[in-house]
Amino acid sequence: MLPGIHQNFDQQQAPAFFARGPSPLARLTFFTALSLALMATDSRLQYLTSIRATLMNLLHPLQVVANAPSELFESTDKYFTTHHQLLKENTQLKQQVLMQNISLQKLNLLALENTNLRDLLHAQQALAETSTLAEILHVGRDSFTKKIIVNRGKNHHIVTGAAAVDATGVVGQVTRTYPSSSEITLITDKSLAIPIQIERNGLRAIAFGRGRDNTLDLPYLPANVDIRRGDKLVTSGIDGVYPSGLTVATVTEIKTSPESPFAHIVCVPTGGIEHSRQVLIVNLPQSDEPDVTADETAADDSKKAAAAASAKDATVRSASTKPPHAQPAAAPAQAKPEQPKKAEPPAAEKPQNKPLTPDQSQHRAQ
Amino acid sequence: MRNNKLKSIYLSLLAAFIFMLFPWSGLALTLRPDFMLLVIIFWLLRAPNQCSVGTAWFMGLWIDLATGGIFGQYALAYTITTFIAVIYQRRLVLFSSTQQLVYVFSLLLVSQLIILILKTFAGNEFTGWSYFMPSLTGVLLWQLAVSLGLNTGRHSRGN
Repeated sequence: MLPGIHQNFDQQQAPAFFARGPSPLARLTFFTALSLALMATDSRLQYLTSIRATLMNLLHPLQVVANAPSELFESTDKYFTTHHQLLKENTQLKQQVLMQNISLQKLNLLALENTNLRDLLHAQQALAETSTLAEILHVGRDSFTKKIIVNRGKNHHIVTGAAAVDATGVVGQVTRTYPSSSEITLITDKSLAIPIQIERNGLRAIAFGRGRDNTLDLPYLPANVDIRRGDKLVTSGIDGVYPSGLTVATVTEIKTSPESPFAHIVCVPTGGIEHSRQVLIVNLPQSDEPDVTADETAADDSKKAAAAASAKDATVRSASTKPPHAQPAAAPAQAKPEQPKKAEPPAAEKPQNKPLTPDQSQHRAQ
Repeated sequence: MRNNKLKSIYLSLLAAFIFMLFPWSGLALTLRPDFMLLVIIFWLLRAPNQCSVGTAWFMGLWIDLATGGIFGQYALAYTITTFIAVIYQRRLVLFSSTQQLVYVFSLLLVSQLIILILKTFAGNEFTGWSYFMPSLTGVLLWQLAVSLGLNTGRHSRGN
């Protein structure tokens, strides 16, 4: 052939049908194979986790640049807030503080009473959780999943599996952590489940995100279940992820059909990223509770025995990594009346004490 | 000149990426066109020697990273879409501007369809017909750019 001519043509913008390197078909085959291999690796194996974290770190400056215009707009908007608005807000806040102070006084009394009662029952003390305030960087860009990215990450001691709440209720759970940001999967995501309790009668169930609209499902409840429209769902706290008693959702729709033994119950979350830009990330209670994944609790109960065995394992494991302040809680672990329902299967065990690793939450989706 | 072109390719790809990184939410997120794919298609038609399937694959990886999905989904979608674009690239000189618009629209749709298929395989559900809105807004953006005087390589391919 005549390589010289080829080069010549190339330099002066050769027509497209000359000298284009490998044929498009070859490129297609190569890159398709590469993509498929990547997808398989990323969805089934965990080799890419650290690579992803590194790349996300590289991406961070770009993200800051991309967020700059909207932040600038917001700050100028704040700057021009009127005197009248501020006064109004101030009065409102003062009222709110007053009301909350009153209920706080009651709460102190209740907390004392609760401690005494728990002592009487020899029950485990509820642990105070530490939390971090984070701000939403952006909403997930994938229309298939309900996720948000917040500006706190591994550098701020956020761990995978921590719960995210806002002033009005539970928002979601941390599913991925990067050095300076982390990904929160919302409770409305299809792959997230949350153990709840009906506030009115204490009935326990598990709420699943629907994924499509901002609603939750309460599946596997019999048609004659005692749930009414307007019932409030709160976290039950048995999963060891979410602190108990946080508002999750309100029941909006109950449908029963003669064909199905189950009721079709739809709930609307009370919390949500639409209301505020801040979320509170509640760190996992550093207790003896074994790693519990909500979805597994929903599955069959036949694994209970095996779970109890590995629960002991988990106790030993977490006791060694526990900070000093949580130590006393480890002792009455076995005496706890409410046995933990399910432990992470030993096969999926990680050196860290993660309740719901992202890969598990992805498995759920399948 | 070639270096200049490469520089503008990289700069425009970076700009498209930052546009994708904007904190879109709500309706804006539903309507947000795929800036990255639009820029890639533009350069495919304009400078097929510098911007090709490989570039698209690489940029797709970054989009994958930004969306937080499984690695390789957008990369594969962009790869296949650009392949189709490259095959018909030579014929494009003869296309009228309306034909070109339809062509770009179908490319955007193909990429969205591939992503839909991949996401469905990964266990997600179809989110409704508004999912295809980005293709529509994307083609509108393309038309806007063309009517503002952007040369999409349709008339003279020598400059």
